[in-house]
Amino acid sequence: MKKQIVVVTSGYERFVHWLMAISCLLLCYTGLGMMYKELNFFGAIFGGLKGLKTVHDICAVFFAVGLLLAIQMWWKEAGVFVFPEDWEWIKAGGDYLWHVDHVPETGKYNPGQKMFFLTVALCGLLMICTGFFMWFPHYLPANLMDWVYVLHVLGFVVIFAFFFVHLYLGTIGNPGSVSAMFSGKMELPVLRMLHPKWVKEMEHEGKLMIVEDKK
Amino acid sequence: MSEKIKLYDASKCTACRGCQLACKQWNALKAGQTEHKGTYQNPPTLQPNTYMIIHFQDYVAPEGDVRWLFRKEACMHCTKAACVTVCPSGALYYNKEFKTVGMDREKCIGCKECVSACPFEVPRYDKETEKVYKCDMCETRITNNMNPACVKACPTGALKWLDKDEALKIAEGRVQQLGGDANVYGDKFVGGTHLMYVLKEKMDVYDGIKKDPKVPQSIFVWKNLLKPLSLLAAGGVIGAELIHYMIRGPHKPHPEHYEEAKKQGGA
Ligand code: HEM
Ligand code: SF4
Ligand code: SF4
Ligand code: SF4
Repeated sequence: MKKQIVVVTSGYERFVHWLMAISCLLLCYTGLGMMYKELNFFGAIFGGLKGLKTVHDICAVFFAVGLLLAIQMWWKEAGVFVFPEDWEWIKAGGDYLWHVDHVPETGKYNPGQKMFFLTVALCGLLMICTGFFMWFPHYLPANLMDWVYVLHVLGFVVIFAFFFVHLYLGTIGNPGSVSAMFSGKMELPVLRMLHPKWVKEMEHEGKLMIVEDKK
Repeated sequence: MSEKIKLYDASKCTACRGCQLACKQWNALKAGQTEHKGTYQNPPTLQPNTYMIIHFQDYVAPEGDVRWLFRKEACMHCTKAACVTVCPSGALYYNKEFKTVGMDREKCIGCKECVSACPFEVPRYDKETEKVYKCDMCETRITNNMNPACVKACPTGALKWLDKDEALKIAEGRVQQLGGDANVYGDKFVGGTHLMYVLKEKMDVYDGIKKDPKVPQSIFVWKNLLKPLSLLAAGGVIGAELIHYMIRGPHKPHPEHYEEAKKQGGA
């Protein structure tokens, strides 16, 4: 069987992805270091807990920029559900939970990916808003401010759990997909599996960029 | 040594502010320039460099006479201290001997979480040092068998540093003696405070006093529910993935995905 390699992401897309991913990971790491006194030692690599907090503050800015760029870039493709095709996919469990011979085709991103994107976008915005007020707690009445902290941690609960879902599905859960975020290329069969309709559209429009033909 | 309380008897206080000055002096806190606003209360509020103030208040009693009320405001040293619960760095802690709330400023990271949590609006954040400041009951003094600086300075006996049982007894006795609306403030909320007042008037009369201070409910949701949930949820996800990987295995292209011409389903 032929192994064709296709260009799937631009450098800009990968830049935005990693800007958001790295800052988000550091935010989770530093956030954990503050939430659990037992994990205060996470600060050691930043010269103490004060340094850890500073890293959280700085990463917050990078994360906010990354998230806004990501929303702007991916909103159309990953932010809106298209019915009924997305619903068909969900009913079939997307081939992830049980075997499906022919999985309903969806747009560039399937509903699972859309749900992940929307979760990151909404929780990310929540983190930015709540985090902002945690910098300036006097901007809000005290009894409202109390719940801002709760929302910040609620967002963390969701983001932290989803991070592991994303990590699994982006690597060993879907072998061959991770290269999209490193080299920006993917093997055609994997691409067909993950983004069938998109491949067809690109083929149709003659935009499919095949860079290598391995026999 | 046992649990101790600083008892402030408003009925004995002459508002000389010796305690306020002693506090500044012992803690080496600079004075700040303030404006005269028609009251002796100065500075107007607690500040990063003012851990305690005496409130001055002109109160027109229902009987028609004007009374001059005084009240010492400072950290109340709660038994259930919201600030200690939220502080991520361990900068705020309970003194093991006296159950007061001490502060290790070295450790403070200036996150301001205690500022929002404290039901008495006590901790004050300083932009310059990026740290928070509050009364620590003169921890270095009390652990060396001395009275807090304010207690030491008080010429009238309005301030006392006593064993808890004794303090409560004295406070009750004083309330009986004063009669009328006199009452004890501090024993009924946040598990009891370690700065308690004997007030001459009903609590509601005093400006700026907290009538129903509580550890915010949100802190329970935050620290007791969501905090453990964050690790549980992530652990659950990782567990589910392991099971998925073993039972269902990684997601691989179907044969149809390898063939150019054939109909291609997604997955
Ligand atoms: C993916 C994004 C983020 C995650 C996962 C995250 C996570 C956390 C966690 C777990 C905590 C500790 C809460 C506790 O003490 O229990 C925290 C604290 C905090 N976060 Fe975030 N956060 C994120 C984004 C942000 C953003 C965007 C901002 C600012 C705009 C921000 C500002 C803060 C502040 C001010 C604190 C209090 C401690 C400090 O001053 O560093 N966070 N965060
Ligand atoms: S009064 Fe505020 S700062 Fe003082 S112990 Fe209670 S919660 Fe903490
Ligand atoms: S500002 Fe300082 S004392 Fe207050 S909660 Fe944060 S680390 Fe603790
Ligand atoms: S030193 Fe004593 S009398 Fe003077 S203001 Fe303080 S508590 Fe009142």
